[in-house]
Amino acid sequence: MGLKCLAQHYLKSTGPSFILTKKNKPLRRRTASLSKMEFVNPEGLRLDGRRPMEMRQLRAEIGVVSKADGSAVFEMGNTKVIAAVYGPREVQNRSQQSNDEALVRCEYSMANFSTGDRMRKPKGDRRSTEISMVIRQTMEACILTHLMPRSQIDIFVQVLQADGGTRSACINAATLALADAGIPMTDIVTSCSAGFLNGTPLLDLNYVEDSAGGPDVTVGILPKLDKVTLLQMDSKLQMETFETVMQLATEGCKAVASYIREVLLENTKQLESRRGV
Amino acid sequence: MVGLSLGEQTFIKGGIEQDLRTDGRKRLTYRPIFLETGIIPQASGSARVKLGATDVIASVKVELGKPNPSYPDKGKVSIYVDCSPTAEPSFQGRGGEELSTELSSALERCLLGGKSGAGTTYEHMTIRLRSLHIHLLQFLVSEFAPGAGIDLSSLCIVRGKKVCWDLYIDGLVVSSDGNMLDALGAAIKAALSNTVIPKVQVSANAPSDETPEVDVSDEEFLQFDTSGVPVIVTLTKVGGHYIVDATTEEESQMSSAVSVSINRLGRICGLTKRGGAGLHPTVVLDTISAAKHVSEQLMNKLDSEIAAAEACDEMES
Repeated sequence: MGLKCLAQHYLKSTGPSFILTKKNKPLRRRTASLSKMEFVNPEGLRLDGRRPMEMRQLRAEIGVVSKADGSAVFEMGNTKVIAAVYGPREVQNRSQQSNDEALVRCEYSMANFSTGDRMRKPKGDRRSTEISMVIRQTMEACILTHLMPRSQIDIFVQVLQADGGTRSACINAATLALADAGIPMTDIVTSCSAGFLNGTPLLDLNYVEDSAGGPDVTVGILPKLDKVTLLQMDSKLQMETFETVMQLATEGCKAVASYIREVLLENTKQLESRRGV
Repeated sequence: MVGLSLGEQTFIKGGIEQDLRTDGRKRLTYRPIFLETGIIPQASGSARVKLGATDVIASVKVELGKPNPSYPDKGKVSIYVDCSPTAEPSFQGRGGEELSTELSSALERCLLGGKSGAGTTYEHMTIRLRSLHIHLLQFLVSEFAPGAGIDLSSLCIVRGKKVCWDLYIDGLVVSSDGNMLDALGAAIKAALSNTVIPKVQVSANAPSDETPEVDVSDEEFLQFDTSGVPVIVTLTKVGGHYIVDATTEEESQMSSAVSVSINRLGRICGLTKRGGAGLHPTVVLDTISAAKHVSEQLMNKLDSEIAAAEACDEMES
């Protein structure tokens, strides 16, 4: 089955997401009849005007936090995430120091204003702890930790705006930040999510589609080595459908990877010109 | 932050003595301010302020709520600041809580005039003036306007009814290079001028004890009145002189710091003194007058930046 991924991330989506309008429309009105909602209308368009296999607009910027060793902002549609990397540096907690490899730590926190309803507790809740662990394991797989024994690499991810796919945006931002910090990696890690609603596989779910209760598959891959480092799924899917959806998410990851490579190349060219090379 | 060597410390202090700081500024000059408004679409108002390498985001959310029974004709404002670990690795987990609480309460004091919101600040003057200076204190107190800073009565919807606006102001420190309080104050001021409060219609025939029905309009909005909102100016004492807008390096050499919040009318809305060293009362009065002088320039700069940002915002939307 040839999956033509219209991952034209240069195409502007036809407008902001339904929920996140300037006038702060309440979320409550929507959740009443989500199961009966049409996520893909008869013309084949989703709620925000995208096609089922179309990703949201991607935007990335490197070097936003000048104090950090490496930092990046990554936007996937309305989801906006900042990642900052501090390291390699001396281990703060001697008992955790490893003589063979670097210690990788990660913290995921959401800003109070990132979701539609104001969050009470930005960090420390179960979801944040779980996502921190997931990001840490994913990044640890690609960092060449044996090159930096007895040191520590801190990855901090801060969500500024959450509109679905925060996990993926965080991993993509962390990859860029690690590259900006010059930390050696085997390959970049990119991530994307996909779901299945109204009988159609959908790429890159936003918040409304995510909270519909349908399946949500998040995939993280090492594009050059073609290996999967992260695979998570909510809800349930038929086996064949799962393969289709996962394949779609992987295509999305590859599209993100080509965008990230472009951004990194652009950044290197700028650094070169600044150094007068 | 890596510690500073003795040579670096002397360099910083010496520079300040000679009115030439490490980055070339004069003692009372601010770093270039970069301001953006309306960056958080789901908030009622938001702004991002970059003061050199210090980067903060403020967002304002407006919700309906019940007023405090002791102040039935005033709304409520709550300020919460979060220090993101992206700014400083030591803010990870609960490490940034202390600084967050300190900034939140300092902002509450400066912008609301303390918990009561009434604005009288006898209790907030943490220095004791000797009897010789009592007449000066009295002169100053008359400058402390009641209900200084954010005017809570403007948040009241209908007097006597149990509905008012609750303002939730959230600050996030993304990157820190000193002087976070001033940056947060500026961001909150910009976010408030970006805030729109929906018009409400309260049903008049509900009995006065129950919560009346409120119809929140989706179409009509009121701009929040920010003419009285103050700016915060922090003066840091390094060696024998005061500097404005200290970087982290300069702050590490400070002996004490005084933060004054002054509004457009020149009225002092709040005062905080940090740091261990004691100050002579005349020195404090000196700082306040220096802060007043600096605040005029800062206020004008901020107002022009906010107007430019809003114009940019309108052009885009």
